[in-house]
Amino acid sequence: MPRSRLLWLTVPSLLWFAVFSVGPLAAMFVIATLKWKGLLYEPTYIGLDNVTKVFQDPTFHAAVRNSLIQVAVAIPVMIPLAFMLGYHLNTRPRGYRLLSVLYFSPGLISISTTGMIFYGVLSPNGGVNGLLGAVGLDSLATAWLADPATALPALIAVDLWRGVGWTAVLFAARLASLDGEVLEAAQIDGAGRFRTMWRVAFPMVKDYVRTLTMLQFLWTLFTSAALILLLTKGGPGTSSTTLSYLVYAKAFSQRDLGYSQVVGVVLLLVGVAGMVLIRALFRTKEESR
Amino acid sequence: MKPRFATVLSWLYALILAVPLYYLAISAFKTNIEIFTKPFALPSRWLWQNLAEAWETARLGPALLNSVLVSGVAIVLTLVLAVPAAYALARTGNRLARVVTGTFSAGFLIPPFAALIPTVVLAIELGLYGTREFQMLFLPASALPLSVLLLTQFMLTVPPALAESAAMEGAGHWTLLTRVYVPIAMPGVVSVAILQLLTFWNEYLFALTITGTAPDVRTVQVALPTLLSDATDLGVLAAGTVLTVSPVYVAYALLNRRMQEALTAGAVKG
Repeated sequence: MPRSRLLWLTVPSLLWFAVFSVGPLAAMFVIATLKWKGLLYEPTYIGLDNVTKVFQDPTFHAAVRNSLIQVAVAIPVMIPLAFMLGYHLNTRPRGYRLLSVLYFSPGLISISTTGMIFYGVLSPNGGVNGLLGAVGLDSLATAWLADPATALPALIAVDLWRGVGWTAVLFAARLASLDGEVLEAAQIDGAGRFRTMWRVAFPMVKDYVRTLTMLQFLWTLFTSAALILLLTKGGPGTSSTTLSYLVYAKAFSQRDLGYSQVVGVVLLLVGVAGMVLIRALFRTKEESR
Repeated sequence: MKPRFATVLSWLYALILAVPLYYLAISAFKTNIEIFTKPFALPSRWLWQNLAEAWETARLGPALLNSVLVSGVAIVLTLVLAVPAAYALARTGNRLARVVTGTFSAGFLIPPFAALIPTVVLAIELGLYGTREFQMLFLPASALPLSVLLLTQFMLTVPPALAESAAMEGAGHWTLLTRVYVPIAMPGVVSVAILQLLTFWNEYLFALTITGTAPDVRTVQVALPTLLSDATDLGVLAAGTVLTVSPVYVAYALLNRRMQEALTAGAVKG
């Protein structure tokens, strides 16, 4: 078999990927044009009517707002914090082993176990309220997941709990692959730790920071449905309904597949727009230096 | 001496990570009342029957077996598909190979959740809705882009001269792949296997919506939340959670270094 025909070996995996990943993704655009009341019914074509319906629905507006709040809070907190912690981990501080095991652990825990842990922690009789009671702040105690003012913030806090340590470990791994002498030289030149971190180390791994920012952005935007399903079901009201959860809820509990997939397309577009924005943000900084 | 800001911050965050885990672990051995009245104290009496009750109520035994079965078949299928593809990509440098690599790089960015509903439709069309078999076929597809890319990186470390000389001696592609490439790229194969096994083991939303909650087919991730009810026993829930995460932590305790390498490699290469 000559070299050029060797690429036939990639065909099975390409086919597999096409059938189970690309196909469903493309089908989303078709389903978005159908009136389809649940998986056991026959769909009918209604064109762009679903789009009009979605854009006039206040629930959709709430979901857009909540998703934007979620990424606009979670990502700018997570990435810089994780970078600093990762930088610190990479200096092998005292207690390094324990720190790295702890930071790593959310990466091992599934979304459904995370959900169950925080169901206990955030329940009215749970850990957070217990802690508040123990320090005499009973007045602040609330049913975190059932209070419209705290449901979304609580979910964002769980995102951060999961994401920061794990991202820090990734940054530490990347920084460890750098030439340590450059960083040492900068320190010897009298650059402070903070300065070395942001002025020397950060530019060296900036491409990686951009990649992780994009990945965390996509994960936060797309995967919130599972946690919301387990913890708040989008409520109370629509106070914690995100786009991702709306895709799920419309398809499985409210039996409107066309609506669900219009939101799915919107989610995809928001994802692409966010990636373009993140790319641009990291580029401008580079040019202005 | 004044502790540095970074030190304080790093331990503060470690504490925030540790407290819910500690709370989970001790709640698993308490009654609902004790969880509420003394949330952070050690159990006054260790309630081992919480574990048994969680095991029975959520039927975790069959669920664990289902998880093992689904993840096991899926990982074998992933490697069978990805290893030859990576071999081909590592040995071919033409434009077509770059197009294939580009396809997988783009595919890596698509979050599987994006196509959840059409995937359910696909499962129904294939007559595999409500079965474990669909997950076994589907999970490899979502894992392929990253697996192929990572394995290609590792296979590129095989010295071309070595491959050439083996080929001169009449070694065919099968021999080259199994005797030269896979042994040299073994750390990569192990990393990919660990990384994807963990991903498969932890998968929740597709398992919930496609395989479903029937006790004979559901995975452990789907079984665990069935402990939620209007009157959830938080102790039993915590016990079930402990039972569900423990296999992963046992694996981590045994191979923590390898596991950390595998998981960071996944994101570093992306």
